[in-house]
Amino acid sequence: MSAGEVGTVERAAVTGRVAARRARRRGLRDREWLWGYAMIAPLVLGLGVFYLWPVAQSVYYSFTEWTLFGDATWVGLRNYERLFADPANAKALKNTFLYGGLSLLGIPLSIGVAALLSTRGLKLVSFYRTLYFLPVVTMPAAVAMIWSWLYNGDYGLINYLLSLVGIRGTSWIANPSTALYAIVAVGIWTQIGYNAVIFMAGLQSIPDQLYEAAALDGAGRVRQFFKVTLPLLSPSVFFVSVLGVINGLQMFDLIYLLFRRGNPAREETQTVVSLFFTRAFEEGAKGYAAAMAVVLMVITLALTVVQFRMQKRWVHYA
Amino acid sequence: MRNGRLWPVHLVLAVGAAAMVTPFFWQVLTSLKTFTESTRMPPVWIPSFEWSNYAEIFDESPFLRQFGNTVVMTAGRTLAQLLFCSLAAYAFARLRFPGRNVVFIALLSVLMVPGQLFLIPQYQIIQGLGWLNTLPGLIAPGMFSAFGTFMMRQFFMTLPREVEEAARLDGAGPLRIFWSVMLPLARPGLLALGVLTVLWSWNDLMWPLIVNTDPEQMPLSAGLSALQGEHMTDYPVLMAGSLMASAPIVVLFVIMQRQLIQGIAFTGSK
Amino acid sequence: MTGKTWALVCAGALVAGLAGCSSSDGGASGGKVTLTYAYWDNENQGAAMTKIAQEFTRTHPNIEVKLQFTPNKEYWTKLQTAAAGGTAPDVFWMNGPRIGLYASQGALLPISDQVARDKVDMGKYPKSLVDLYTLDGKRYGIPKDFDTIGLWYNKDLFDAAKVKYPDASWTWDDVRAAAKRLTDPAKGVHGIGAMAWPQELYYNTIFQAGGYVISDDKKKSGYDDPATIEGLRFWKDLLDQKVSPTVQQMTDNDPIEMFKSGKLAMWYDGSYDAPQYARTEGLDADVAPLPAGPKGKATVIHGLANVIYAKTEHPREAWEFLKFLGSEQANKIQAESGAVIPAYEGLQDSWVKSMPELNLRAFIDQLPDARPYPVSKNTAAWSAPEVDAITKAFSDGQDVEAVAKQFAATMNAALSQEK
Repeated sequence: MSAGEVGTVERAAVTGRVAARRARRRGLRDREWLWGYAMIAPLVLGLGVFYLWPVAQSVYYSFTEWTLFGDATWVGLRNYERLFADPANAKALKNTFLYGGLSLLGIPLSIGVAALLSTRGLKLVSFYRTLYFLPVVTMPAAVAMIWSWLYNGDYGLINYLLSLVGIRGTSWIANPSTALYAIVAVGIWTQIGYNAVIFMAGLQSIPDQLYEAAALDGAGRVRQFFKVTLPLLSPSVFFVSVLGVINGLQMFDLIYLLFRRGNPAREETQTVVSLFFTRAFEEGAKGYAAAMAVVLMVITLALTVVQFRMQKRWVHYA
Repeated sequence: MRNGRLWPVHLVLAVGAAAMVTPFFWQVLTSLKTFTESTRMPPVWIPSFEWSNYAEIFDESPFLRQFGNTVVMTAGRTLAQLLFCSLAAYAFARLRFPGRNVVFIALLSVLMVPGQLFLIPQYQIIQGLGWLNTLPGLIAPGMFSAFGTFMMRQFFMTLPREVEEAARLDGAGPLRIFWSVMLPLARPGLLALGVLTVLWSWNDLMWPLIVNTDPEQMPLSAGLSALQGEHMTDYPVLMAGSLMASAPIVVLFVIMQRQLIQGIAFTGSK
Repeated sequence: MTGKTWALVCAGALVAGLAGCSSSDGGASGGKVTLTYAYWDNENQGAAMTKIAQEFTRTHPNIEVKLQFTPNKEYWTKLQTAAAGGTAPDVFWMNGPRIGLYASQGALLPISDQVARDKVDMGKYPKSLVDLYTLDGKRYGIPKDFDTIGLWYNKDLFDAAKVKYPDASWTWDDVRAAAKRLTDPAKGVHGIGAMAWPQELYYNTIFQAGGYVISDDKKKSGYDDPATIEGLRFWKDLLDQKVSPTVQQMTDNDPIEMFKSGKLAMWYDGSYDAPQYARTEGLDADVAPLPAGPKGKATVIHGLANVIYAKTEHPREAWEFLKFLGSEQANKIQAESGAVIPAYEGLQDSWVKSMPELNLRAFIDQLPDARPYPVSKNTAAWSAPEVDAITKAFSDGQDVEAVAKQFAATMNAALSQEK
């Protein structure tokens, strides 16, 4: 066997191996779709069974009269006609939008907290952050109890503090004209910490050079904030506001926990979801309730689309 | 806001933090009062340390049992979500297969639906499985998450393709690549999803209320709601109960703070 | 063996306290059958329910009863969800406001035939309750307990204000006068609590004023009737005179808690809350019959019934259990616990004696004046808006008459939807 021959054999072996690898890769590519399906299968199955199928069922039931225990009978659009004729729905929808909209008021506060916490050279940052974050991790059931006690008209801390400065408080969550705002305040309280963390991350991603450049142009801190910080923070603001609106629209836990029987403010605070719950589970009109849920779903979807459209106008992706 | 004196910053932050924490201070203070003390104005600032408010919780509800249920429920849901969501998310992010985008968008549509809509059909499924008033029944629907999938997919998309490409040249299959290459790289994402799921699961209320009505099988959130049903406006007892139910997760948060913050920051950055 | 002889043997075995009957014709031939029994009050009645279930299994060794407790607030949600899924508990508690909906939608097993066959004497239970659970001529439940409303009062506050304790001779005027004298703003004490609760408060005064909530044919609301409005105005006047805390205050601080802590001198409440008033330390309270209104005396009577789920897999065993729940023996266990007045005739005495420090006889003495709790087929469709409307009527600056009349229209619309 000559050396040259050996070389040829080796070369052949190498070519062979490369070819085999290529072949294997091609085979793999061919079967990539199979792998894909296999990997999404458990999740698709779970989400399909527990979430998507229920949605499909509800859409179907929204066209039926589905009483408590009986079978559903097809009634066409009747539920939807009733739905638009019922003034309670208009009110609930208005409240729902108010919750969604007012919850955005927390955003400037969160940005403020985030900006302060991002101050260069500041100590105790993680200490402050922990305190601001506590409400986020507290159970909603506990939050409801704590606040209904704080808001208590006779023995609540809030009214006591107000009395020190000579203001007579009210029964904040039993008074129809304050209850909704009282709940919004609780919502903001629970979200400030969460949103501040998102904004802090957004602030960190803003390169220092931009500030320096602005400073060279003679911009003061306030101008820097409006000219540099805010525009570059807009993706975070966008994210937080989308989330805030969706959460506002689906507001339920707090209302369910705070408003017991005979609360004078109940009507004034009802949201679409809490009304849905009343209709479906207290009054036994499941078909009608399904129609309400479908409408809410469409509204949420539409709003999200609108928000995404509008983001082009004001969100600057660096 | 760089340099300069920092005391104004501290002042503003401290005042804000005080406002954030006052409700908890009031909660703790009230939980140590007698009912009469709690209804006195001006408030009693030094309570008579009525520990019996706490004892009452243990007397009336199987608190430790409910604590155990909550831990098992939270762990079960979290581990399942981490596995199922990341597995599917990798496929959605990197593998090509027909119908990928359609399926993905269909799954995301779940996020637009008010949760109460799922209640009855989910209940029927759990009932059909004979899982009412059991821990599996409590856990099952929460094992799958559209949000988690979305989040992990975003995360996988930020990872460089080169590492994967190398592994592929070595002949690794998608599952191997996912398991031994991508998953380790996705640790921050997994941690983020994990802490968020823990938080959500621990505080989840509506599903447990419906599916597990036996106090022995309830998690703490439902147990707390039942407590309110019995004590109405007896705030010292309610404050003691709410404090005990939410304390474990608060402690966990203080320990895992860094991961939680990173997790949340990540969800916001995409 | 035919069904009839079988039932006879069963009944015989029950009477003799011997081993019960097995479900030999069911799927679980000869095997053990487990029934689920759902209820919502564990604090006051859990012990009695457990004892009744044990007693039943002792006499029916092949039937085990699993108790399923659900807090009141979630009970109906849970039951409805379960029933929609086709498997509710076999036997469960039912109340007046819900019976129409559940029975008319076929969720409950009619028991008329079983009652006739086993010769269950429905005459042993208050007639208004038996009627409450009879729909379109079909029986659906055996009464479990009943409750009436009484005037609870705080003896210490009465002594301090030197007001004579209420008795059976009292009228609305006495209440008004006493409420005024008992109110002490400096101590945060109010004479009475005028909360917008139907069963405990305004239904009673509506009846006492000669008004009605719903017409006998269940087609028309009574809220536009002047007498009904007078019944509401009784409370509104007390609120306007500030001898009651505002509705808002009583939302923040449950009036039951207020009465327990000595902030209310008088309080209309049901017999079912007797145990917690007896138990409260530092509260020296007693109870009197409700004062008479312009048209005499009246109290709302309501009571729960035990019912069987229509799709139960063990109708035979469920019926045996239901019969036992309605038996004198089971009622006796309830009576001794003191939690509720048992529905079975002749057992009220043992309930009255269960808390000798309280004049519980006041609740029983009112039975001749008792008026059934107003219901229709879908009570919830109008009763939830009703509470909202009356709450509004009781709020500051609202005109009771206008709100009531407006609600009458809403209620009539809801009633016209019923088939």
